[in-house]
Amino acid sequence: MKARLSPGIVLILFLLTLFVVAAVLAPWVSPHDPLRQSLLLRLRPPGTVAAQGDFLLGTDDLGRDLLSRIIYGARASFIVATLSVSVSLLTGTILGLAAGWFRGWSATLIMRLVDTMLSIPAILLAVLTVAVLGPGFTKLILVLGLTRWPRYTRVAYASTLQVAALPYIRAAVMAGAGPARILLRHVLPNIAGPLMVVATSEFGLMILFEAGLSFLGLGIQPPAPSWGSIMSAGRDYVARAWWMTVFPGIGLFLVVLCVNLMGDWLRDRLDPRSVGR
Amino acid sequence: MPRYLLSRLLQAAIATFGVITLVFFVMRLAGDPTLLLVPQGASAEQIAELRHALGFDRPLLTQYIAYLDQLAHFDLGESFVQRAPVSAILGARIPYTLALAAGALAVALGIGLPAGIAMAVWRGRAVERLLAALVLTGQSLPTFWSGILMILLFGVILHWLPTSGADGPASLIMPAVALGALAMSTFARMARIAVLDELQRDYVVAARARGLSLGAALWRHVLRNAAIPVITVTALEIGNLLAGAVIVETVFAWPGIGQLAIQSIAARDFLVVQAIVLFVSVTYITLSLLADIAYSLVDPRIRAVA
Amino acid sequence: MHRLWLSLAALLLATPAFAQSAADKTELVIDLAADAATLDPQLQWDTDSYSVYRNIFDNLVTRDQSGKIVPQVATAWHYTNDTTLVFDLRDDIAFQDGSKLTPEDVAFSVQRITDPAFKSPQLSQFDQIASAEVSGPHQVTLHTKTPYPALLAQLVKLSIVPKAVVQKLGDGEFNQHPLGSGPYKLDSWQHGVAVTLTANPNYWRGKPPFARAVFRAVPDVPTRVADLRAGRVDLVRGLGPDDAQALKQEAGLKVLSVPTERVAYLFINAQAGPTKDVRVRQAIAMAIDRDGIISALQQGYGVPVNEVLTPADFGYDKDVKPWPFDANRAKALIRQAGAEGAELAFLTSPVYDRRLNEAVQQMLQDVGLKVSIVMMDQPSYLHRRQGPPDQAGSLSQGRWSCACEDADGVIFPLFRTGSIWSKYSNPEFDKAVDAARQTLDPAARMADYHRAFEILREDVPAIGLFQDVAIYGARKPLQWTPTANEAFFLMDMHWAP
Repeated sequence: MKARLSPGIVLILFLLTLFVVAAVLAPWVSPHDPLRQSLLLRLRPPGTVAAQGDFLLGTDDLGRDLLSRIIYGARASFIVATLSVSVSLLTGTILGLAAGWFRGWSATLIMRLVDTMLSIPAILLAVLTVAVLGPGFTKLILVLGLTRWPRYTRVAYASTLQVAALPYIRAAVMAGAGPARILLRHVLPNIAGPLMVVATSEFGLMILFEAGLSFLGLGIQPPAPSWGSIMSAGRDYVARAWWMTVFPGIGLFLVVLCVNLMGDWLRDRLDPRSVGR
Repeated sequence: MPRYLLSRLLQAAIATFGVITLVFFVMRLAGDPTLLLVPQGASAEQIAELRHALGFDRPLLTQYIAYLDQLAHFDLGESFVQRAPVSAILGARIPYTLALAAGALAVALGIGLPAGIAMAVWRGRAVERLLAALVLTGQSLPTFWSGILMILLFGVILHWLPTSGADGPASLIMPAVALGALAMSTFARMARIAVLDELQRDYVVAARARGLSLGAALWRHVLRNAAIPVITVTALEIGNLLAGAVIVETVFAWPGIGQLAIQSIAARDFLVVQAIVLFVSVTYITLSLLADIAYSLVDPRIRAVA
Repeated sequence: MHRLWLSLAALLLATPAFAQSAADKTELVIDLAADAATLDPQLQWDTDSYSVYRNIFDNLVTRDQSGKIVPQVATAWHYTNDTTLVFDLRDDIAFQDGSKLTPEDVAFSVQRITDPAFKSPQLSQFDQIASAEVSGPHQVTLHTKTPYPALLAQLVKLSIVPKAVVQKLGDGEFNQHPLGSGPYKLDSWQHGVAVTLTANPNYWRGKPPFARAVFRAVPDVPTRVADLRAGRVDLVRGLGPDDAQALKQEAGLKVLSVPTERVAYLFINAQAGPTKDVRVRQAIAMAIDRDGIISALQQGYGVPVNEVLTPADFGYDKDVKPWPFDANRAKALIRQAGAEGAELAFLTSPVYDRRLNEAVQQMLQDVGLKVSIVMMDQPSYLHRRQGPPDQAGSLSQGRWSCACEDADGVIFPLFRTGSIWSKYSNPEFDKAVDAARQTLDPAARMADYHRAFEILREDVPAIGLFQDVAIYGARKPLQWTPTANEAFFLMDMHWAP
């Protein structure tokens, strides 16, 4: 384990910062309004220069600037991933802590629910839930958040069980400390490592998931840009307007790649025992 | 051991029941297919009549109990859209998904295992970095993107492979590669760690010190022991492959149950959706049960945390 | 289990059978958007199903190239009174198993599709029929509940099934192994993938043009185009205007298009929200650049209409004055109504062309209205659109075809008070369309519809945009003229010699 940051890590951090900057500063960074249509400028190739300005990455099927839509798409991915990971991290950790600490029938109930939800293919569960709730930004976050918590619960549960058995925790219990205090001050910091590892890999997965759902038409609603829905629209023009498919895809790929690398790096530091995914 | 097995079986049974119930209610809450079945000009009364004839206006609990009763008789019901037994519909489409999963597994194992072993054996060298990059790429590529790009490159531009459908072995190649890419990374990482672990064992180090070649050491000791975790991970990955098939089948128009599931959800063809989820979940539960049992045979400590 | 392994093996060993057949002149390979849902002609009635089964079965009557209703199984018909129609039938038709097609089969077909216990989704199109009986050795009599001018148009969609076979096999089996009197019989049905038909050598109308016809399910439009380009198929349906432009440049391929009876329109909620005010609706009518939509989005594949009906339908009024495209007048009217910045919900689903939604949104934004597009899947969309007015949103896109080429099937369900689609109520309009459906006299009906469209023009509960054009791609040697009712009869196609 190196103490200094390798050049590889620096590059990854740089790319990720780019992503976050694009996401947060989208209105100031994007050259055009991502929603402004120009029916006369449909499907123009990258580098097109017109009266309305430069279209560095070309235009889409309604004449909107692709670069701007990609930048705003980054924003959508970032917000959706951050919020949904937060929801599932919070829900999953609380349930896992409770199951691991109090055990008994509540643990059985929670863990059986975890089993059930983990047995249903994630994407089908998401598609089903969207069919019920209807698509929409908040609902998307809820769907993603509420279908992924079992992963955190499993880890939190196993870790809590291990930590609870440690001598100094038992000493604290015998000393009369209340469960809330012990959980917050002693257990939580100890299980935070593995949880962060899960959260990082889930962050990348949530970005992919949102893109996948938007690709299927069930995620972010048009005309709001999302990398998945841009690529879905681009499918009809894949031979004629390849830029609609290639550029958002590169963006998606690079971001997920960096997040995964970040996750690997974190895992090496926080939880070297865990293997693979 | 039997107690562990029994408790895991019970867990599996509860999970299956939970899946059936969850999917049933989620699907019904989304509304019924009547509006999709009737011609556009149908009146409110005509719609209500069809809804009643198909039994969708009964209380949810009644429908649920009727469904459980059906399942108990191994009857998956009849599709409202295709007016054919769900078992026949599934039976016609499952082979495609199985073929796809088998192809993807072949790709994942065929590329992932050798890559992982190579990464362990040539650790620290340029080869390892290259392979690590390949593995990472496989893990980060969105399947629908890689799918579309492959279709564009190999289908439309080069005309090497068919652009869609299931017309023979050639059309299996691209979907299998797209689906197998993610699993490939898992196997590669796993194989690498397993082999690295084994290579550091005392008896292997000793054997090598006595002059045993790397190749012989790999063959005689390492691979045999590393095989167990690989097998157990394979069992779990099959479940993931079935899930990943949904997007791949949609992109490549591969007529398996993933594509059928998406179409049936859109068509509110409840019984088909429920049957598909049931099939995939039972497969996943069974495979993870088998994997758990295999693990516990190897590592007695795990049995304690049930 | 056996079947599972057999199909798995078959799949893996199958040679690409279609690649060579597209060059084979005795065969026709077609790409449809989806596999047929049912092949029983009295069950599902979606485009991909009827494209296949209308070639396996004959219908009582049919339409010719110009859209006129002409004989098929029936040779002639006459009304004995306003609610009784008598059909004389051909006596030389045999089903594909050799048995004769008799009046019993015709009566049985009508009874089967109108039987509530059969639960046909098509029931609503035929439920005005009270009864059908055999009235002679080659004659069938139909009774309707009230005078029903659209009866013949609906009977164009009634396929004749063999009573003996249906009763012997049962409905479930008959759906998997349909048998009719049409030019093609079912050879094999690979569910989710393709249906193969072979020619019926004893077809009464003459020799079918192809020995074999294969209908493949290809959901993706660009894939269908790629298949056509690669020579793997001969005919594809459901192309968009952009694909047509690309195909026009290809040697060896051609685009076939026809204006259909499907009308593209913009629904406006007259009973809830900011659009309750008729001035807002009229402003919306003036804010839409309909010609711009047709030229830019439809690439010219669209015939402008000034009402929610197409010239292919009976009742079309060509004298309706259109609202002019005038953004300034629209803005003024909106200001007058105090609706500047009003928020309108545009409900839609993936079924509808999203580019049209977004273009309309932009046009309305330009005149001061805030439009937000609310996407949901089709069943949810239908549920809301057909529900109470305050749930139905303010705007939505519609593509309506009644497959009856008659105004009664279009503006009656869309605008009459009490209909689930109608978020509008005008007693004068109701009187006009009610009168039009109770008489069989065409002149009287045209007058009623003229009145009806004048009312709709003022009230603007919807804006007719254009007559939808169906676009097909085909290999040059294929001779076929598609029709306005989007029928798909193989008997009308043949290879150029």
